[in-house]
Amino acid sequence: MSGLANAQFWAFVGVVAGIYTIFALGLQIQFGFTGLLNFGHVAFMAIGAYTMAILVVKVEWPLWISALVAILVSMLFGLIIGLPTLRLRADYLAITTIAFGEIIRFIAVNQQTLTGGPQGTINLTGAGRASSYNREWLDFQGWAQDQLEVILGDHATRDVTMLVLIWIVAVALIVLLQFMVHSPWGRVLRSVREDEDATSALGKNVFSYKLQSLAVGAAIGAIAGLFFAFQFSFFSPQDFDPLTTFFAYVIVLLGGTAKNWGVPVGALIFAFIFAGTRFLDFWPLSEITSADRAFLRLIVVGLILIGLMAFRPQGIFGKKEEMVLE
Amino acid sequence: MSAQNGNGRILELSDVVKHFGGVAAVAGAELDVRTGSITALIGPNGAGKTTLFNIVSGFYKPERGVISFRDERIDRKPPHAIAQRGLVRTFQITKALTKMSVLENMMLAAPNQPGEHLWRLVLTPRASRSREAEVREKADELLKLVRLDRLADDYAGTLSGGQRKLLEFARALMSDPTMIMLDEPMAGVNPSLGLELLDHMKRLQEEQGTTFLLIEHDMEVVMNVSERVIVMNEGRVISAGPPDEVRNDQAVIDAYLGTGRRPAAETEASE
Repeated sequence: MSGLANAQFWAFVGVVAGIYTIFALGLQIQFGFTGLLNFGHVAFMAIGAYTMAILVVKVEWPLWISALVAILVSMLFGLIIGLPTLRLRADYLAITTIAFGEIIRFIAVNQQTLTGGPQGTINLTGAGRASSYNREWLDFQGWAQDQLEVILGDHATRDVTMLVLIWIVAVALIVLLQFMVHSPWGRVLRSVREDEDATSALGKNVFSYKLQSLAVGAAIGAIAGLFFAFQFSFFSPQDFDPLTTFFAYVIVLLGGTAKNWGVPVGALIFAFIFAGTRFLDFWPLSEITSADRAFLRLIVVGLILIGLMAFRPQGIFGKKEEMVLE
Repeated sequence: MSAQNGNGRILELSDVVKHFGGVAAVAGAELDVRTGSITALIGPNGAGKTTLFNIVSGFYKPERGVISFRDERIDRKPPHAIAQRGLVRTFQITKALTKMSVLENMMLAAPNQPGEHLWRLVLTPRASRSREAEVREKADELLKLVRLDRLADDYAGTLSGGQRKLLEFARALMSDPTMIMLDEPMAGVNPSLGLELLDHMKRLQEEQGTTFLLIEHDMEVVMNVSERVIVMNEGRVISAGPPDEVRNDQAVIDAYLGTGRRPAAETEASE
């Protein structure tokens, strides 16, 4: 278990948790605050990552502009999926958004000239450029690393720099979201979650607010996609399978629905379990091959979710009394 | 009495029809509400009163008929657009926003809050904050009126049935409506507080010219507070007029007590 003292390991857990924090924050605003059962949230992450990569590689736009456009494109997709579906009942919305997520993934698999197909960015950029298409990001990260060295000295590795940058963005988004949901705008969202009829009887355009919520969540999902692309630079359609959306649900439920500060805590626990299965190499688990052991993480996540529902259904930060109000 | 409208009628319905399956819940209802009046809508259970409320407030689309509010047709408008025009309603089965505080329930209902629009929230945060302060003051005032001020910070979901009725009433008043439709506002409310609410209704009517249309089963309330009574039975308006007149109308007595024969005019049912 000596690996637990390894700084590399923790930096990796922190980076993954940071990306998942941002990703789940998008779902928090849609599901946690507005009550939208979006089961295709991963699509916004995929759209963010792919749009940025495609614009940089194929159109040769600067990375920062491409990143901004990627966020806007993701919001546009949020509107496109929202317009026909947000008038539906919650369960129909869930079904349609699952389909939406899968459609985006299948487009990524099949439109090979656009996306690189099943091999992902390696094929999109060509082997020579796969690790360098995000040059501008790497330069920025290098600059940030120099700044960090002033404070942290030798500890300011590439991973630690990434960790710091991601968490600056994640915390900024949490603070922003906290402001938004406690504003009059957020009050309408919460009211939509509670009762759509009561909200519209008070003169609020429920459909418009649901659409806005979906679009804002889509933008945040795309930001998570950007960081995913920055961190891993190689990515492929299978990184955006439906399971990823449900991981975001696990994180939101773990932290507590509609509790913004619950998201990073949920994400850290989740990322630790996810990266931590490598330490389950003691007997009798050592009898299983390490590839098979990787699947144990899903079992552990499932068990935690069951335990949570049984013993603390409101999540870590949630209020018990909110669970029983009708 | 204020006469913004040429004919003095703030709400007019003609030939409104709504079926549920083969049942004609509202079968050609004709009625009007005078500007600045307190009007009661009564009738036996299943007469179509609540359905009519749902149609007028935009929650159901009528199959036929014309509804005008302040000389503007509203029968194809969505609920929020109707509420924004100053016609608000409460629900028979209350719709408290349970996981929000009592105060938040109130503040939500205020109109003209720039902070409810994302762009204006970001660009003019001051306008949002100063409106919020105004709204807060008004909410505190109304909560005092309905004796819920001490519960302002509690979850609305912790209120009793009667308290929820009061919250809905106060919440409707938050929006400075021109006309309020109240669906059984007194049900479950303690009688002495109920009387105070009626006083407040009368005061709003006199001072601000607010129009009230209420569904109510308590005949004492109906006869005391309302200037006009509209009686529905089996989806139609069977009588309308001052309380004393309506009370002695044979059609009304028959509708409430039964006549032993089926009324002639409803062969609408198709199956």
